[in-house]
Formats: sequence, C-alpha cells, structure tokens
Amino acid sequence: MFSPAGGLRPRESFRSERGMMSDENAIELRGVRKAWGDVVAVQAFDVGIRKGEFFSLLGPSGCGKTTTLRMIAGLEEPTEGQILLEGRDVSRVPPYRRNVHTVFQDYALFPHMSVRKNIWFPLKMSGVSLADARQRIDRVLRLVNMEGLERRLPQQLSGGQRQRIALARSLVDEPAALLLDEPLGALDFKLRGAMQKVLKDIQRNVGITFIYVTHDQTEALTMSDRIAVMKSGRVHQVGTPDEIYNRPATAFVASFIGEMNFLHGRTLGAEAGMPQAEVGGQRLRAARSTVTGTPGAGDDVLVCIRTERVQVNSYRATEHEMAGTVRRIVYRGTDYELTCDLEGQEVRAVVSAVDWDPALKVGVSARLGFNGADITFFPREEEKEVVQYATDAV
Amino acid sequence: MGERYSPPRSLLRGIPITIWMLCLVAVPLGYTFLISFFQVEGMQIAAKLTLKNYGLFFTDPMYSRILLKSMLLALAIASLSILAGYPLAYMLSFRVRRGKQALFMLSIIPLWVSYLVRIIAWRTILGNKGVINSALTALGFIKEPLEFLLYNRFAVAVTLTYICIPFVFIPVYTALEKIPRNIMEAASDLGAGELRTLLNVVLPLSLPGLITGFIFAFIIALGDYIIPQQLGGTQGIMFGNLIWSQFGFAFNWPFGAALSFILLAISVTILGLTSRFGSTEGGFLNE
Repeated sequence: MFSPAGGLRPRESFRSERGMMSDENAIELRGVRKAWGDVVAVQAFDVGIRKGEFFSLLGPSGCGKTTTLRMIAGLEEPTEGQILLEGRDVSRVPPYRRNVHTVFQDYALFPHMSVRKNIWFPLKMSGVSLADARQRIDRVLRLVNMEGLERRLPQQLSGGQRQRIALARSLVDEPAALLLDEPLGALDFKLRGAMQKVLKDIQRNVGITFIYVTHDQTEALTMSDRIAVMKSGRVHQVGTPDEIYNRPATAFVASFIGEMNFLHGRTLGAEAGMPQAEVGGQRLRAARSTVTGTPGAGDDVLVCIRTERVQVNSYRATEHEMAGTVRRIVYRGTDYELTCDLEGQEVRAVVSAVDWDPALKVGVSARLGFNGADITFFPREEEKEVVQYATDAV
Repeated sequence: MGERYSPPRSLLRGIPITIWMLCLVAVPLGYTFLISFFQVEGMQIAAKLTLKNYGLFFTDPMYSRILLKSMLLALAIASLSILAGYPLAYMLSFRVRRGKQALFMLSIIPLWVSYLVRIIAWRTILGNKGVINSALTALGFIKEPLEFLLYNRFAVAVTLTYICIPFVFIPVYTALEKIPRNIMEAASDLGAGELRTLLNVVLPLSLPGLITGFIFAFIIALGDYIIPQQLGGTQGIMFGNLIWSQFGFAFNWPFGAALSFILLAISVTILGLTSRFGSTEGGFLNE
C-alpha cells in the first residue's frame, strides 16, 4: 500500500481532504536570500507550503536546500526576505520560539539522556505536566513503533532506531511543521526504503507539514506532494512529482530527475502550434519549448527526450523515426539500456525486457522512434547546467 | 601481520616507558616511602624501622587540624577556579568565532611564565604599597592601606585560584569543544533557550571535563607550599608547609616523608573516587 507506485492514489485523496480543511499556508517564503559575504547560498526563494503538505527540497549538494531548511528552523537568519510561519513573520525569531522542529541528518540525539528523556525534552521545555508528558511520550513511541526501548541510551540503538527516536522527539509536541534534513542519508539502502515508507505513513497519520531535504530524486518523487528543485541557490521549479518529471522547467531539472537524452538541434519554426527543430537531417516536433525569441530563427536548441520514451525496433507507430547504429547494450534485468549513434550524436534508450528485439546487437542498425508529445526544447545555453549521471543512477 | 605484533616485539617497545616510570616515579616514591619508616638519630637518618612518624601525626592534633584546614582551603580554591574557568571556556568555545586559537593560547599563557614570577606579581598587586592599595589611596577611597589583602589565607586563595584556572580551563574547554554543535542546535530547535541549553545539555556533557579540572585544582592547591610561604603569613600555613619544614628546617626527613605519604594517600583516594566520573579527554559519560 505504501509502495512508491501504490502511494500515488491515497496521496491525491489526502491532498483534496486537506484542501477542504484549510487553504492557509503553513510556511511561506517571500523573496528569501542568504549570503555569506559574496557567497550566495540561496536567492529569490518564493514559495507557499500548504498545511499538511509533504514538500521536498531537492538538489545536488551545495544547492542551498539545507540552508533554506535551516532558515525555516531559525538556525540561520535570512539576509533578505521574510519567512512566515502560520501567517506570522518569524524571520528574526530564535529557533526556540518557533513552532517547528528539525530532524537532523545525524539525528542529534542527546547522548546523556535515555530515549524517554530525549523525547521528554521538548515537552519539558514547554512546561507540559508530567502526567500529560507520559501519555504523549507513550503515544509517540507507539507511532514510531519503538515501545520497549525507552530506557536505552542513544548509543545503544541502531541507526534506524535512532532515526525513529529523533522523529518521535520532534513530533511529540505536535509542531506546525517538521523539517527533515536528509534524514535517511546515513542509512543503508534497504533500510532507507523501509524508512521512506515509515516516514510517509507517519506523515499521513499525523497530518503535520513535512519539509524534506534530499539529494535523492527517487526519494523526492515517491514521497512528496510537491518538490522544489534547486541548483546553486536558485529554485528551478516548484511542482508536483508529475510536473517535475514530465514537464521540467529547465534543462537542469530535466537532467537531474530521471534519465534524459540531450540532442543538439536547430529551430525551424512551428507547425500547428508545435515548435519544430531539425536533428540529424530530420524534422522533429515538440510538445513543449522554453526557447524564447523568433521561432524558425535557426537557433541552437537542446532537444530532450526521456530514455524510456525512445522506441527501439518497436511495432508501435511513432511520429518520427530515425536510424541509428547500436554502440552498447547493457542488460539490467527488467530492461535493457541501449546506446546508439545517431548522426554523430549519442541517444540512449531504455527498453523493457518484454519489448526487446533479440536481433539488436552491437554494430547493427536500429530503428529509433519518437513522439512529439515526449519531446521538449530547451535553449542551448542551458546545456552547461545539465548534470550527467552514470547509467545506473535511476 | 602476525609476526609484527609478536609478544617479544611489544615487550621491547614497552621498555623505554618502563625505565622512565621506574626512574622518575617508582624509585623516588619507593625510597620516600621507605624512609618514612626510618628515624633520625642526631643529624643522621638511621635505617631502623619504626611507626613513630605516622604515630606522631595521629597523636598531635595540630597536624590533622592543619590538614583539614588545607583541604577546606583547597576545596574553596578548586570551586573558585571552576567558577572562573568554566565561563571562560564556555565563552571561548561557543561565543568566539574569530581568533579562537589565539585566545586559547592567551588563556593558557600563564603556564609559560615562571611560577615564582607569578607569585611575586601577586605580591605587588596585593601588597601594602601594591597596585590595589595605591590605586584606592590615590582615588581617595581609603587612607590606610587595606591589611587584609596580603599575608593571610585570602591572599593564598586568590593566588592559588589564579594558578589553577588554566588547569580547569583546559579540560573544560576540551570537553566543550567535543560537544557536537548540532546537539546544541537540536536543544535550541526543541525549545531551549541558551540558559536551559547550558543546564540541560552543555553542563551534563561537559561534566567529565569539569570534574577533571576540579580534581586538578584541588590537588595542586592541597600540595602547594610556596604560595602559603610567600603570601600566607602565619595564618595561611598549609599542610605542604609542614612537609617542607620537616625536610628544610627540622631536618626530619622520615617524618616529612610520612606526612608526604599521608597527603599522597588522600590525593590518590580522591583521584580514585572521582576518576571514573572525570576524563582528561572530555568524553561523554558512560562512554
């Protein structure tokens, strides 16, 4: 039920429910900028994060996502702009007077306190009575499934257990939002997957706004209601996982999430509202283009298509067909990754094992098919922002 | 790999430190312990075993009274050193951003200056014509110099506290530096202001360093005899002076050695009782 694919539908319904509850923003950033001297960490960040939303800040290291999170927590002060928490400007309010909690990457549990005392800490600070505190601690321990370990010290727990305690400690006094700084970064691969489900499950149960920092695109896509993709302190796009994946705003977003082919082409104007470009002697139509200026001016453009959208020797009819020479074939179990040479440009295609044509061998000619609906044009100057990934980074 | 760590090799490596410990610690201590059972005949130490030296300590109440007085004074000095050294270390560790290293060196620079020079310096500060009295007289607050500043227990306490501060500062600072900064951030994030973070998080986590500093100060103060001699007058006499006088004036080495061992036994007992709470590395409790 909480698998990445199956999670989509309940999340949709959850969102509409919440929409009825309130349309007020839990957190709002207005023109937030952070700089240390000449070094700009974050600039021009404007976003409203809705109540109960699972919002991710996604980007490569050094993109400013953690700095943004720390500004929301109050651990850094913005150089410019405002941070609103439930409608109140908290830009200059110290962290201990903000109703948000952070789950730190390495958990930051108090090493001299037992699990129970760690969780008690925020309640003690806000003067909750002992009897009430006991009830709340028990409830939150049940929520994170960690009953029976209350007397242990943090160093007697495993990574995943510490993670849950850190989560419990931050949830116990029901903050307006929970800020998570790469919380699964220190866990091994299998545990990561399990904890993703636990986190998403808990978030859905408590209905608290989560702001989640990650550099892992899969994590962001599977868990988030919305994602802000950042690079070098700049927000490239804010949108739902579907929007981010299928309608990337910039070539960087297109390259950072999923696997994308970037081909060089020249604009040829538009036909029936669809911009066109020439690649390797072929006229390609694109569903979307972010290229500004006069169409048909012969501008250099980046022609983008997802690797899984390239058809190879397929029975399915496609709008465009081109011939390429197979250069490399990598078998990956559920699918094959094929690299072809197309008029001097490299095209990668991921073909599911079901659709695979066994005649494909290195050196033979392959029929590559594309549909205009899957093609996007970006200005050629965005090419320098494109991140290249190793083929196994899905 | 197996050959490298074979027993003969590791034994060989232990030889230098063993010789060092034997020459500088075990032999002198053993010898002192031995002569504490000897006796003086005329001006000669006679190698005749006796318990008379220890007996004297327990029968003459003067000795135990001065020992008790010295311990109380050392306790006060150690407490004052903590009160002065802890905030210093706290400020340097958490508040200072630039020039931390330089300020750290400045804080421990007194250790580079000769012990005697620093004692004489305090005499010129506290003396009848010293800095404090001259300044107060010049400002017209007093006509006669303040007598209580020098040649009493007050002067001993002030000067010994000053001597002990770096010995408290270093372990406390080390302990504070070892506290991960995100733990303090977590405390702040979870609703604790600076004072509550100090009491609930910083203080417990730096407790080992604090205890170590306290023991250092206490033992240094308890064993000192130069400061009481130079600044303490008749009132400020401490147990260290008694030992010193046995070796110096009285030429009763066996009795001096016995008193030394009584002091050593007390210090070792305190160290033993507290060392499991303290740490020279400033680690966490239970670690």
